[in-house]
Amino acid sequence: MFSLPLFKQSIRSNWVLWSSITGVMSVLCAQFAGLEMTQSLLFTIFYGMMTVILPGIYVLVTSNKLISGQVDRGSMAYILSTPIKRTTVVFTQMVFLIGSLAAMFGIMTLVHLGINAASPITLATAMGNGELPVQGDLTSKMILEVNLSSLLVCIALAAVCFMFSGIFSSSKYSIGLSGTWVGVSILANMLAMFGRLGVKGLDNFKYMTICSFYDQNSVLNSGNEWIQKLIWPVLIAAAAFTVGTVVFKKKDLPL
Amino acid sequence: MPDIIKVKDMTKDYGGGNGIFNMDFSVKQGEVFGIVGTNGSGKTTTLRHLMGFISPDSGSCSIMGMDCREKSAEIMKKVGYVPGEIDFPDVGSGISFLKIQAGLMGLRDFSRTDRLIDMFKIDVSAPLKRMSKGMKQKTALVCAFMGSPDIYLLDEPSTGLDPLMRDTLIELILEEKKRGATVVMSSHIFKEIDDTCDRVMFIENGRRLDIVDKAKYEAETPGIYRIGFMSQEDCERFVDSTSFRISRSNIQCRHADLVEDSGRVSEMMSELSDFRIRYMKYRPATLETLCSSELSSVK
Repeated sequence: MFSLPLFKQSIRSNWVLWSSITGVMSVLCAQFAGLEMTQSLLFTIFYGMMTVILPGIYVLVTSNKLISGQVDRGSMAYILSTPIKRTTVVFTQMVFLIGSLAAMFGIMTLVHLGINAASPITLATAMGNGELPVQGDLTSKMILEVNLSSLLVCIALAAVCFMFSGIFSSSKYSIGLSGTWVGVSILANMLAMFGRLGVKGLDNFKYMTICSFYDQNSVLNSGNEWIQKLIWPVLIAAAAFTVGTVVFKKKDLPL
Repeated sequence: MPDIIKVKDMTKDYGGGNGIFNMDFSVKQGEVFGIVGTNGSGKTTTLRHLMGFISPDSGSCSIMGMDCREKSAEIMKKVGYVPGEIDFPDVGSGISFLKIQAGLMGLRDFSRTDRLIDMFKIDVSAPLKRMSKGMKQKTALVCAFMGSPDIYLLDEPSTGLDPLMRDTLIELILEEKKRGATVVMSSHIFKEIDDTCDRVMFIENGRRLDIVDKAKYEAETPGIYRIGFMSQEDCERFVDSTSFRISRSNIQCRHADLVEDSGRVSEMMSELSDFRIRYMKYRPATLETLCSSELSSVK
């Protein structure tokens, strides 16, 4: 079911992009959480957009590289000329994709937890307005919950890209459709954010993006809504990974 | 010897006349089997079916009694493959690629790999992207041969190799054959097919033309003598009067190709003694002549 050598190969081929995105995300996180000027934008800008855009770029490129790119280039022939089942290939690549995203968010979360422990901010500042009548500080639990929520949405984002990668033998279709999917998701998320900030008419964009299942307000208000909303990205991810696996297992490969 | 590879009435229609149609052959254990055909005749498609990359529209193919598509992972334990198109995974140097492949194969002993690297004179520390076509091909060959598999599926294995390396490859194939391995190779270089194969299948437009046994064709295919005459008149007179079959003649260039097929060489000599001869050239029966006659019979 899982192949360690293939996993190592995937690390070798993808570590550069992973490291740079993880680095950029951690630095941005440190900046938004640490500098007084940007603390009020931490949740609007950083957790509102960056935690989708940056991993979005990563999953778009990586998911294509994991399957479709290798079929398109023909290098998948070497993997499949060894005693390894196609399902094992897909499963291993899926584990890599999810694992690398989890590691990315894990590192960033640690950075944020460290900075928050050193210089804690009030919940009111975190919500974007120091004058709000809310009590208390931003807790470690909230940081963990926000990141978990964001990670699961990114996994769903990745799963759909991975599905296209499994379905198409040609990179141009895989990356084209994945790009459209990631692009629309991010764009609609940004427009919906303007809607939330008061621009009327843009509010409806929240129905067009998977990022709406990521509910930071609920976390900051210590609600439970965010947990229920996560059912959807989990279901979408499961469905997309299944479709990708089944199609890749059945289809003809031009190797 | 039992049949180890069986292809039965296999068809894969890509439309527009492309694909393979009613492909039917079997390969015995320990045999070197060649597939010869022009570009686009279906050699690679046939091998892709055997590798389990694609499934046939109808018919079947099996290796060691296992369906190539269903049981491909099981079959791959015994198969070494050189793909027709060489493009490596993005893993840096040649040696890291070979190490990852060995890991995927479950191969621990690297002594044979080192010997092969030595034999093919590859600089495995070079980045894969910077390697020349021949280097890449040799790396792919090492990858296929390092696991000492029982069956080799080689898709134009000598592409990009220099003549010396081509000979090394032929030696290696013969060595593996001696060990008892079965080899299926496609090629359009007749020399390597001639030197290695026990049987050769000709295909054209996705259809099997013929399968020839090398031992048989060598014995049975007639020899051809090209005879150059001193004058056009000599040439014309000979072509008209001879009891031998003339496969081709060119009066202007004063030569004729004579087919000699039943040990009548001395008879031929006595016939020729009446004419003034410029030169005589023997062209032995090769796969190439056989192939061109097979192909021309289709057209």
